[in-house]
Amino acid sequence: MKSFVPFSFACITSFFISFSAMSAESEQAISLLERLSQSLRQLNFNTSFVVVKNNQAEPYHWLHGIVENPVNEDEVSKGNIELEILALLNGPRRDILRINNTVSYIEPEYAPYSISSEQISGPIPTVFGRDVSVLENNYHFVSVGKNRVLGRAAQLIRIVPKDSHRFGYWLWLDQQSGLLLKLAVITRKGNLLEQIQFTHLEITDTISENLKQLQTTELPKIIDVTAQQKNTDLTWQVNWLPNGFEPVKSDRHRINTSKQTVEFMLFNDGLVDVSVYVNPSKEKQRPIEFANDGATLVLSQVINNIEVSVVGKVPLETAKKIVSSVSFNRKLVTQ
Amino acid sequence: MSESKFETISSIVDNYRVSDQKSEQTIDDMLKDEHLANSWQSYHLIGDVMRNEIPQTLQLDLSAQIASAIAEEPTVLAPSTSNSKVVGGFKAKVIQLIKPVGQLAIAASAAGLMIIGVQQNTADTNEIITPSQIVQTKPLGGFANPVSFNYQQNTKSQQQAALEQRIEQQRRFQTLLSDHQQQIKLSAVKKNSDVNSSTELEAELEKSN
Repeated sequence: MKSFVPFSFACITSFFISFSAMSAESEQAISLLERLSQSLRQLNFNTSFVVVKNNQAEPYHWLHGIVENPVNEDEVSKGNIELEILALLNGPRRDILRINNTVSYIEPEYAPYSISSEQISGPIPTVFGRDVSVLENNYHFVSVGKNRVLGRAAQLIRIVPKDSHRFGYWLWLDQQSGLLLKLAVITRKGNLLEQIQFTHLEITDTISENLKQLQTTELPKIIDVTAQQKNTDLTWQVNWLPNGFEPVKSDRHRINTSKQTVEFMLFNDGLVDVSVYVNPSKEKQRPIEFANDGATLVLSQVINNIEVSVVGKVPLETAKKIVSSVSFNRKLVTQ
Repeated sequence: MSESKFETISSIVDNYRVSDQKSEQTIDDMLKDEHLANSWQSYHLIGDVMRNEIPQTLQLDLSAQIASAIAEEPTVLAPSTSNSKVVGGFKAKVIQLIKPVGQLAIAASAAGLMIIGVQQNTADTNEIITPSQIVQTKPLGGFANPVSFNYQQNTKSQQQAALEQRIEQQRRFQTLLSDHQQQIKLSAVKKNSDVNSSTELEAELEKSN
């Protein structure tokens, strides 16, 4: 009994010590992530990376730069011009070009088009170039330690989900520039699902030739999708999602490749996108089927001739829970 | 020794019979030794003069000129289209490059099925489903061959059916995956412009198919 008091005292103090150490670690992690976001927006960089998943590697070339606007004719475009190119180097050409708030997608499926957007959506989550504090509600940030990546001194940051419904993200950040050197998507048990390894990084004072060229390029016409963004009333709803997932949009659209009309909802927790599809099916029943593409899970089932599918970088259990939480107000109108 | 070398050079210049090994050796030496190389040039010149074959204008330093011209030539490590100085021609070029590629899209999407190379599972309704995080990269036709000959016919058609079902499933998943990515792209739109309508988007996107 006597020894209990000092023991519990030791426990409490060690708890406080570890707690304060934790918060220091997380503060450091946040400031490093803020630096990453800043570097991604402000530096002139020319870099290459490889996305590794399913025993496959997809190489990309990524360029970013800032130039002063030479013509200050109207107030709005005054200041700097941000230029960005992301190109997939293998297979059919997939290029993404950005000049300030115009993003052009050049893909084999569609004629080149532009949308009005501040960010390109590629393999690297867009939140890292923006305000990472939106993730604080659902993720812990932990600064783990130093490491050597791409021949540079790197700082490892773990983005750990607060619940078991999401994956963790590990980021290796360049100590010198603050830029990303490696990114891994990790399960709760510590299994690696997908990673992005940078293979080349060059930071320059002036922008590269490719970006100079982009600056003088006339991008394809901007198509407006805001009208489509208006949330369509659907005859069903998703009753369960992990905390922090907010609906981004809901609509009825035709899938390009299969020509099938689907009802669709998109959710986002700041880092991860989850799509839910509902469409009539020829089959009466089909048990849950799923497949993984790296960290991205595709899962679908058919109940009473209605197919419900979930796509996103979430664990299997989460997707199952989402799919089974879909309820219908009335019978889906069969096309 | 070097006398004999000059002799050999002279013989080679005159297309006189020299053993292959010896001529190879001499040529190697000439490449290393500037003095020998000069004599190669001089012997040719002497021969030309004797045969009265010298051109009107004699360029004694032609090889040097070519060498310096090559040295001045920029080294092209990779063919780059983007370095050309055409201003504003980028879009045209992009589209030009895209058009033929578009025709490959079908082949590419079929290839995508193979690439997705998935961890795949059909959960039984009665089965208690356990999360499986282990990636099983089974090839599309990755079934064990039946051992018994008698059953082969039967199992083959079953295999066929299973395979087709699997391909169908893969296609469905691939379709969902690419639409998911497409929707994420479109959802990044800033909500302020009022240029075109959404029907125009649909039309725009349809057109390209």
